[in-house]
Amino acid sequence: MGMLSPGVIWLLLFFLVPVLILVKASLSSTPRRFIPPTFSWDWSNYTAAFSQYQPQFVRSFGYAGTATILAILIGYPLAYWIATQGGRFKNLLIGLVVVPFFISYLIRTIAWTSILSDNGPFVGLYRLLPWVGSDGRLLATPWAVIGGLTYNFISFMILPIYVSLEKIDFRLTEAAADLGSTAWHAFRKVVLPLSMPGVFAGSLLVFIPAAGDYINTYYLGSAKTTMIGTVVQDQFLKQQDYPQAAALSMVLMVIITTMVLIYSKFLGTEGLAV
Amino acid sequence: MANRVSRRQFMTRSGLALGGAIIAPQVLAACGGGGGDEAATKGVYFENWPEYIDTASDGSVYGPGTTLALFTKETGIPIKYVQTLNDNNEFFAKIQPLLSAGKTIGPNVVAPTYWMAARLLDLKWLDKLPLSKIPNAKNLVSGLQKPPSDPTGDYSLPWQAGTTGIAYNVKATGGKELRSIQDLWDPALKGKVTVVTEMRDTIGLIAMSLGIDISTANTLAQYQPAYDELKKQVDSGQIKQFTGNEYVGPLEDGSTAACIAWSGDVLGMKNPDVRYVVPESGGTLWFDTMTIPKGAPNVDDVAKWMDFVYDPVNAARITAAVRFMSPVQGVQEVLRSKGGEDAVLAENPLLFPDDATKARLHTFANLSDAEEQKMDEAFSKISGA
Repeated sequence: MGMLSPGVIWLLLFFLVPVLILVKASLSSTPRRFIPPTFSWDWSNYTAAFSQYQPQFVRSFGYAGTATILAILIGYPLAYWIATQGGRFKNLLIGLVVVPFFISYLIRTIAWTSILSDNGPFVGLYRLLPWVGSDGRLLATPWAVIGGLTYNFISFMILPIYVSLEKIDFRLTEAAADLGSTAWHAFRKVVLPLSMPGVFAGSLLVFIPAAGDYINTYYLGSAKTTMIGTVVQDQFLKQQDYPQAAALSMVLMVIITTMVLIYSKFLGTEGLAV
Repeated sequence: MANRVSRRQFMTRSGLALGGAIIAPQVLAACGGGGGDEAATKGVYFENWPEYIDTASDGSVYGPGTTLALFTKETGIPIKYVQTLNDNNEFFAKIQPLLSAGKTIGPNVVAPTYWMAARLLDLKWLDKLPLSKIPNAKNLVSGLQKPPSDPTGDYSLPWQAGTTGIAYNVKATGGKELRSIQDLWDPALKGKVTVVTEMRDTIGLIAMSLGIDISTANTLAQYQPAYDELKKQVDSGQIKQFTGNEYVGPLEDGSTAACIAWSGDVLGMKNPDVRYVVPESGGTLWFDTMTIPKGAPNVDDVAKWMDFVYDPVNAARITAAVRFMSPVQGVQEVLRSKGGEDAVLAENPLLFPDDATKARLHTFANLSDAEEQKMDEAFSKISGA
C-alpha cells in the first residue's frame, strides 16, 4: 500500500468510488417505489434519459455555453485591465473580484430575484427599450438564468485568465511594436495565445458547474427554463428514483467529458498548469 | 405543506446547494447506523421540525417554564428533543435503510407530515400508539379524528396543523379581492401568479375548484382534469413560477399578485395588503403527526408525553409560541383566558378558522405507492423536471 501516492488515494476515494456507486445505481431497478434498488443491468434508465429529458439537456448546455461565452467577454477585459493597469492595486482588485463569493451562493442567487423582480429597478429601464413591451420582464426568463449562471461563476473565469496574463512578459508586446506591429495585432498574435491556457481553464471551471446547476433556474427561471440538474434533483429527492437520477448524472458526465476533450483538442492543453 | 417556517426549505436547499446533494442510500445507511444505541432505557426521544415548540427566553427548548421542562418536572421522565427533521423525503431516505432492515431508528417519536405518516404506516414501519394510556387523546379536534392517512386513528396523533389557500396582495390585484381558484386565472394577473412545489397543495386546490373531492379521489386518472388545467396555465404563462416559501417576498412587494400559499407564512407577514383566503371551492388541511417508529423503546413514556401535550393548557403554550393550528380542543379557550397577546391570537382566523371555513377544508386522500408515484411524476413534468 505504501506505493499508493496520496493523489491516487484521493482519486480512488473521491472520484472512482462515487462514480462506481453511481454506475451501479444507474443500472439498477426498483420493482416498487421506496424499496432500495437492486442491481440488474437495467439499461432502460439510459434510454429514458435520452427520450424524455432532451429539452432539459439542450437548455443545460445552451445556457451553460452562453454563460461561459459571456464570462469570457466580461472576464477577459477585466482580468487584462487588472493585470496590465492594476499596478500596486492588483491584489486589492483581485480581492474585490473574490469578495462577493464569501457570501453563500444561494443568498447571492436569491438577491438577484429582488434585483430582477418585476417591480425592481432594472425592469423599469428594460421596459423603456423600444422592442420590449410594458409587460416585459427579466425574472422567470432564460436570460435571468443565464445571467445568474454568468454572475455566479465569473470569478472562476477571471482568476485563471488573470494568472496566465500575469505570467506574460509584456516586453514581448514592446518587441512586437518595435517590429512594426499594431497594438491590436500584438495582442492577437502574442498576448491572446499566451493567455489561452487561462481561458481554457476558466471555461471548464464555468461551463461544468453551470451545466449541472439547478439553483439558478429554480430561483431566476420558470417551468420553461428547467435544466438537467433540476431533473436529477427531482429524481433523487422527490421521486426517489435513484437509478433514473444516476443514469441522468452519468449521461451528463459523459457528455461534458466528451465536450471538454473536443474543446481541449482545439485550444490545446499544454501549459495548462497555470 | 409541511412548511411552517420559511427557514425550513431554505435551509434544506442551502444544504443541497453547498454540496452533499447526491447521497446514495447505502451511504445514508452508514450514517444512520448505530442510532439505536442512543435510546436510553427510560425516556422520550422526539425528532421534530425546527422552531416547532416553545422555548425559554434564552432560546433553549429545555429552559425553565418550557413544555419540555414542565413535562420532565411533572412526570420525572427525561426527554431528548431534536429539531433535525427538515424535509419529509430526506427524513424518509434516512430511516428507510434501517427500518427496511428491521432495525430501530434512534427516536421513539417522530413527526412526519400526514402523507408521509401514511406511507410509513403502509410500509408497516409504525407501531400502534398505546391509546389506552393517553386519555387526553379525547381532546383531538373532531376534524382530525381518523384521517385518511390513519383510518383507524391508532397510529398517529397530529402535532400541529395548517391550511393551504390563496394569498394575494390587494394592491397588486388592482383592489380586487380574490375568492376562488378561477380568480387566479384572471388575464389581468397573467405572469403574476405562483403555485407551490407541493403536489398535494397545488393539485388539491385546483382539483377542488373543478369539483373533484380530494378526500376520496386517489388516482391520477381522477385528478387528470386538475393536471390539464395546471399545464394550461403554465403553458400560457399565467403561472410565473413554482415556489417553496420563497413566494413570501414577491407577494409582499407585489411582484407576485396572487399565489397558492400556506396559512403559517401569511400569519408571519406584516404587510396589511397581503390577504389570505380559503377558496370557496375548498382549501387543503395538512398536519404533522406524532408517530412511533417500529420497534421503538419506552412506549409508555411516549404515551405520557402525548398525553401531556394533548392537555389544552400545554397545547396552548405551544400554539402561542409556534402559531400553527392546534389539533387540541380547548386551546382557544385557554388562550382567551390568558388575556393580552394570547387573547388576540385566540381570535385569529388563520389559527382558529370559523365553522364555515372549516367546512371548506379537506385533507388529501391516501395514495397508493403506484398512484403517488404517477402523480408526483406528472406534477414534475409540468413544473419542468
